[in-house]
Amino acid sequence: MTRICFRFVRKEQLKHISHLDMMRLFQRALRRSGLPLAFSEGYNPHIRFNLAAPLPVNVTAEEEFGEVFLTEKTDPKNFLGTLARQLPEGVELAGAFVEDEHAPALPSRVVAALYRASLIILDESETVDYELYREALERLLSKEEILAPRARKKGKKQTYVNVRPYIIEAYMNNQESEYPLELNLLLQTGSQGGVAPGFVLEQLEHELGEDRPSQANWKLHRVRLYRDVNGSLEPLSEGM
Amino acid sequence: MQTRESKIKQLIEQVWKPARYMGNEWNAVIKGHAGVDLRFAFAFPDLYEVGMSNQGLKILYESVNRHPDMLMERVFSPAADMEDCLRNSNLPLFALESHKPVRDFDVVGFSLQYELSYSNVLNMLDLAKIPLYSEQRSETDPLVIGGGPCAFNPEPLAPFFDLFFLGEAEECLPEVLSLYKDLRQQGHPRQEILARLASQEGIYVPSLYCPVYSDSNFCGMKRLDSRAPEMVNKKLVEELDTAPYPTAPLVSYIQTVHDRAVIELFRGCSRGCRFCQAGYIFRPVRRRSREQLFETARQLINNTGYEELSLVSLSSTDYPQLERLINDLDRELSQERVKCSLPSLRLDSYSIKLADKLHQGKKSNLTFAPEAATERLRKVIRKNISEEEILTALSDAIDAGWQGFKFYFMIGLPGEEEADVEEIVNLCGRLRQHFKQKTKRKITINVSVSTFVPKAHTPFQWEPQLTMPEVHKRQEILRKSFKKLPGVDYSWHDAGSSFLEAVFARGDRSLAPVIERAWQLGCRFDGWSEHFSFDLWQEAFREMEVDAEHYAYRRFAHEEYLPWDHLHCGVDKEILIREHQKSLEQRTPEEAAHDQDLF
Repeated sequence: MTRICFRFVRKEQLKHISHLDMMRLFQRALRRSGLPLAFSEGYNPHIRFNLAAPLPVNVTAEEEFGEVFLTEKTDPKNFLGTLARQLPEGVELAGAFVEDEHAPALPSRVVAALYRASLIILDESETVDYELYREALERLLSKEEILAPRARKKGKKQTYVNVRPYIIEAYMNNQESEYPLELNLLLQTGSQGGVAPGFVLEQLEHELGEDRPSQANWKLHRVRLYRDVNGSLEPLSEGM
Repeated sequence: MQTRESKIKQLIEQVWKPARYMGNEWNAVIKGHAGVDLRFAFAFPDLYEVGMSNQGLKILYESVNRHPDMLMERVFSPAADMEDCLRNSNLPLFALESHKPVRDFDVVGFSLQYELSYSNVLNMLDLAKIPLYSEQRSETDPLVIGGGPCAFNPEPLAPFFDLFFLGEAEECLPEVLSLYKDLRQQGHPRQEILARLASQEGIYVPSLYCPVYSDSNFCGMKRLDSRAPEMVNKKLVEELDTAPYPTAPLVSYIQTVHDRAVIELFRGCSRGCRFCQAGYIFRPVRRRSREQLFETARQLINNTGYEELSLVSLSSTDYPQLERLINDLDRELSQERVKCSLPSLRLDSYSIKLADKLHQGKKSNLTFAPEAATERLRKVIRKNISEEEILTALSDAIDAGWQGFKFYFMIGLPGEEEADVEEIVNLCGRLRQHFKQKTKRKITINVSVSTFVPKAHTPFQWEPQLTMPEVHKRQEILRKSFKKLPGVDYSWHDAGSSFLEAVFARGDRSLAPVIERAWQLGCRFDGWSEHFSFDLWQEAFREMEVDAEHYAYRRFAHEEYLPWDHLHCGVDKEILIREHQKSLEQRTPEEAAHDQDLF
């Protein structure tokens, strides 16, 4: 049994699909590739395959990870080449290595993700006031409680969860950029709870109220994933 | 200034399920528009998830795109949110592959699979900014064509289409497209091109025929051009093994209704159920060879990565070497954990045996369509299966470990009496009793009851539909009786949508203004219960002063002209009449006699 971990990039062309769609995309690509896939036991065998963390719809990504179990020893380089031929435009493999077969499952290691949100102004006559955004962000972060609706089961009452603790950091990006304004959002994710970047941006726009541009969109990009090393965050890529 | 392309990209991000509009799927064919002579847009008047499950789409995609000098792209009905976005930003409907406006294509071809998609057809034309009526279109507008089962009575849509294609297009569509391109290049005007195309087999140009009415009764078609044939014959693929079939079909990113590889065992059906339009318009039966099916299946799995292979046909278990084919496929594909499935099962022991072979894992539900609950009524509709056979087959299924069953029945079948309706409940009660005796396991029973819709080119095309009050009454009888039968889950079809289906299935050109009006009033996605508004349709009929009941409830006479009599489905009218008469004889003698008086 060989466990191979691979890194990939998701680009504009494929950012519109959901996590389950991404899972299917990789599973079908792996099936087409002819690689010696390992299957789970039981009546409904499936490929032993995982993605590190669900990627939200309409978000591109820089440094995502997946893992797959193979029944035969396979050179990571060959793996990359073989799988790459079966992937559509918009998903690009960036590296692969053999992982310890008994290491914890990839998704269980991810605790946080860094997103970059870039503002796009559709009406060119409108200007963006950096200070207004900075102040709105400050107001948002000063709250002790930000309630987000939880996914509701049919017939059940709508419940809310406080997601403020899941916003680890949120700050204006002062670096040179082609966009009028950029935000960095470091958000908790994974089994211990999390918050979607889109929700945080919605709350920010709510804070801006009348001050927000009438025609603007956010472009979201996931920069990297993090794992927890003795209480501090380290990029997932570094342990690999 | 923003480009159209970047505007479309922004729209796609604003809507629910953006992948419906983005294209770029695995095996998508992307060609430059400048590099080909003919651009064909295939329009499916329903959501992406529905259209992408249509095997016809995938076959034609292969058939057209294998030619280097032409291209086919796809477009589906946009959901309400996308429609709003397109209208608000004043962008025309675009095709998936290139995001180019649909109206910039040379030919736009609609797939007409069911009557309740007609309002969507108009909506797509309007969103594409193509004039709705054929006569309003200019030399720069695309040719608007339609095909599929509804093209066998396309009269309600006739004024909106430049031509209809009758029958199977995979072999000759490229020829027709190529001929159209040549005629255009020779500089002929639009109407002249249509008249020349009309002489091709399978092509019906509605503007060359004028319906004649006497006292508002339809009495036949008058030909306006001698090049238009008196009878349009359907086009048929003689040899399926050599016809185009996709071995590298499109694989969607989002889950579609049928998300799997498909091999078609045979076309047509020899069973001859008298209500079934597919059973008549796809005649005769033509089989693919087992060798070719095996080879196709192998390539499909290699090229798609699908985990399921479906063996489809109108009645798959009628394929002569099915067991051997399944054994061969199983040997070849089980290593890769590819599952085979049979979507249409007959209620007999042979089918149960095959189903058992296919499902080594958890056995959940089996689906059957007895259609009628009494042997007498099953004889009338020619669904010949005895209750004993049903019980034996189901016993086998229980022994094999199946957990539940779904049964399809119809109400309002010709010759049906209230006793037949009550018998649906009684039969289910007997089955439940039978299951209890056989096993301690809990066996679920789902019963879905639809309303009979008379369809053109079937022996029942002359039969009236049961009136809506009567349908409601019978549905109520069922609802009440099933309530007393625990463990049976009963569901039914909306009577209003079945009524509308019947109106259009047997309709003529007078219905075209009604469709337009209903669309203007906001009708969309009429096949979806959450969108269907019977009130709006009724308003449209009222405003246009068209009597809908005249089409649905009237018993047509064998002697009268039918709006589709100039379209030939491959089965002569005399045969349909004979089959119809046989069905009448198979009712009780008294009723048969009573019914005969009407003719």
